[in-house]
Amino acid sequence: MNTARVGDKLPELVIPITAVQIVAGAIATQDFENVHHDRAAAEAAGTPDIFMNILTTNGLVGRYLTDWAGAAARIQRIQLTLGIPNFPGDRMTLNGQLVALEGSEAKIEFKGRNSLGNHVSGIAWLRLKGATTRAD
Amino acid sequence: MGDNNSLYLEGKQVVAPPTMLQMWTFRDVHGKYAPGSTDQDTYEVLTRFNEFGFSGSVAVSYDQTYHNYLAEGDLVHSYSTISEISDLKSTRLGEGCFVTELAEYYDANDVLFGEACITYFKYRIPEKKPGKVSKIEPPKRISPVENHDSKHFWQGLRDGKLLIQQCQQCGTLRHPPQPMCEACQSLRWSTIESTGKGSIYSYTVMHYPEIPPFDYPNAIVLVDLDEGVRLVSQLRGSEPENIAIGQRVQAWIEPVQENLSLPIFEVIKA
Amino acid sequence: MQTEKHIAIVGIGATEFSKNSRRSEMQLACEAALAALQDAGIQGAQVDGMATLSMDNNWEIDVHRQIGGQQLNFFARTQYGGGGSIGPFAHACSAIQTGQCETVVIFRGMNERSGLRFGGGQIMNMNALNPDMIHFSHYFPCGFMTPAGWIALAARRYMHEYGATSEDFGRIAVSFRDFASTNPKAFFYERPITLAHHQASRVIADPLRLFDCCQESDGAVAFVLTSAARARDLDTEPVWIASVAQRALPTSRQVTPFYGDSITHFSEFDAMADELYRCADISPADIDLACLYDHFTSAVLPQLESFGFCARGEAKDFVKDGHISRGGKLPVNTHGGQIGEAYIHGLNGMAEAVRQLRGSSVNQLPGADHALVTAGPGVPTGAAILRRAAA
Repeated sequence: MNTARVGDKLPELVIPITAVQIVAGAIATQDFENVHHDRAAAEAAGTPDIFMNILTTNGLVGRYLTDWAGAAARIQRIQLTLGIPNFPGDRMTLNGQLVALEGSEAKIEFKGRNSLGNHVSGIAWLRLKGATTRAD
Repeated sequence: MGDNNSLYLEGKQVVAPPTMLQMWTFRDVHGKYAPGSTDQDTYEVLTRFNEFGFSGSVAVSYDQTYHNYLAEGDLVHSYSTISEISDLKSTRLGEGCFVTELAEYYDANDVLFGEACITYFKYRIPEKKPGKVSKIEPPKRISPVENHDSKHFWQGLRDGKLLIQQCQQCGTLRHPPQPMCEACQSLRWSTIESTGKGSIYSYTVMHYPEIPPFDYPNAIVLVDLDEGVRLVSQLRGSEPENIAIGQRVQAWIEPVQENLSLPIFEVIKA
Repeated sequence: MQTEKHIAIVGIGATEFSKNSRRSEMQLACEAALAALQDAGIQGAQVDGMATLSMDNNWEIDVHRQIGGQQLNFFARTQYGGGGSIGPFAHACSAIQTGQCETVVIFRGMNERSGLRFGGGQIMNMNALNPDMIHFSHYFPCGFMTPAGWIALAARRYMHEYGATSEDFGRIAVSFRDFASTNPKAFFYERPITLAHHQASRVIADPLRLFDCCQESDGAVAFVLTSAARARDLDTEPVWIASVAQRALPTSRQVTPFYGDSITHFSEFDAMADELYRCADISPADIDLACLYDHFTSAVLPQLESFGFCARGEAKDFVKDGHISRGGKLPVNTHGGQIGEAYIHGLNGMAEAVRQLRGSSVNQLPGADHALVTAGPGVPTGAAILRRAAA
């Protein structure tokens, strides 16, 4: 990422949202809230279908960031707000932009939209190289 | 997640994706915490909300700081504090409170490796309406109301033309459409087809609220058309910081959804 | 219209201002109207006129009945939302002076935060063939759906023509929030901001930031107006309506005045200022304070110019020099305005002008004799000059 510049846009990532993925994401993240795997329970809670849990969204955001930043990068902080849920049959399109860069400290604004509107938006801070974790 | 980051998959010591922070200390499918944990309900406050009828629960925001990545074999423990409970608020989901939890995550050496601040909305699920919950339709743009005075304009756009009303008596052009010429009071009018060329007279870039189905930021321009009337529409293809008053623009008439076409402007490249 | 010593404001009342009133708009309106009557020392049975503005969801007859009204001889409702916040006063003056009625209650009650939020892009029923939708059809399909956006076009053009900056708008917000910080009724009581806070606040509709925008509020404000003859019999000190005017021009549109030769200034104010001063027989220098309609900070600058407090394009310097702030020569919105106190469609500004002229404001100016109050810019609008009884 030696060439990163403020204003750079992260490549768009389109993620098809399926029931399998929502359920798998919820279970993989140890989130057993019934609205993420049981359609009847979701309907009783007033939503039309099961919907993606925040931890799956969070994981997808993490993936989106390092797909761009590469394996040398370390995510330091993710701050996100959820909007309209991700329901099965939809697609989420992730976009992001590098808004600040000091040395290798990068600040990225990101947004994930589905057909109903904005599902997630937020800011992430990454160290693009020279990370300090034990993995290095 | 489809995450193929080699950091998590290859090498002598793989590390866990940091975004997994919170789930290490979650209860299992049987509702039990990991061995050695407290029997107490960490989420007692949220459970108490259920007892008062606020059984709906949705996470609304999440702020996590990752000081270190975890490697295979690490042992973790966490502490969680409820830092804030809001007053009763009304949202589209119903009435409820925002509850904010602060969680700290430590490794086996009691070194803080991650922090999370999670805000949930605990709400009273509104009375269920009879029948099935219908699928949410993708939102659409609000369609214009077309009446005797304006139908020609919207039909013109559907036909790929940007039409400007012209008084047949005094020749004055006017927009937006109206039945009577304010210069000579004639009710006789026809239209001319605009070239769609003009200059930006003023502009704004809409950032908030984000109203579906629009893409944000949404640049709106007030254009002095070369024919001599002003028109409001969207500007496409310019970064917000590059838009300027006086820029030459060209409208492209585009179907934006079924039965609706709009003149979408682009800056004419020099 | 010249009304000196003919029509008096003899009562003001309000509910608390909040983000969730937890009661109906009707109850808010009735509570504020009753408080205004109690302030005036007038019984509801004596109220024979009612007036409000177009977006109020409470019918005049319903409020009148509940406050104990017996017969309604005059009722009026002014169009164009916040631009109509002075209209009810103009109408009440006309009705009282022509003998149609003697005592008018003006009210505005709204759950504009917990209910339908104007800033949310869903201001009206968008599926009906009504004048609003015919008009807004030229804007809504583009996603141009909020007042901040509509006013931003004028703000951007004003910046372009006069060199004003976002900081110039920010100084107005800082000043209003300062007044609000010492007003216990204000939502932003004890919460002042700095210019840095303003500059760090997020962009809503470029060039307008969050702290350029008024609040969205729940609450109600009401007034009692009556004739000079009845005012003399009351214990409360009257505040006189020295002059009042409404104005619309061929360039006036419903919040979208984009088609005139110039869009920087709200030309309705230009077209009424001289007459307003002439009827009150004063000049801009005689105005001690102004309650200017502040849906957005950017709209305050041209108002200062239209009403003659500074020359065209110089309002940014007037503000920078501290003239509209605490201790300035023309303190503006000493209650905190709709940015600092609450957004009650302009009527809380009128209430503050009355308090200043009675000597009962929490941010009281010494010896205030005349106050200018404006209705919403960007729509057909109005303004009034109020005068202290002893002046």
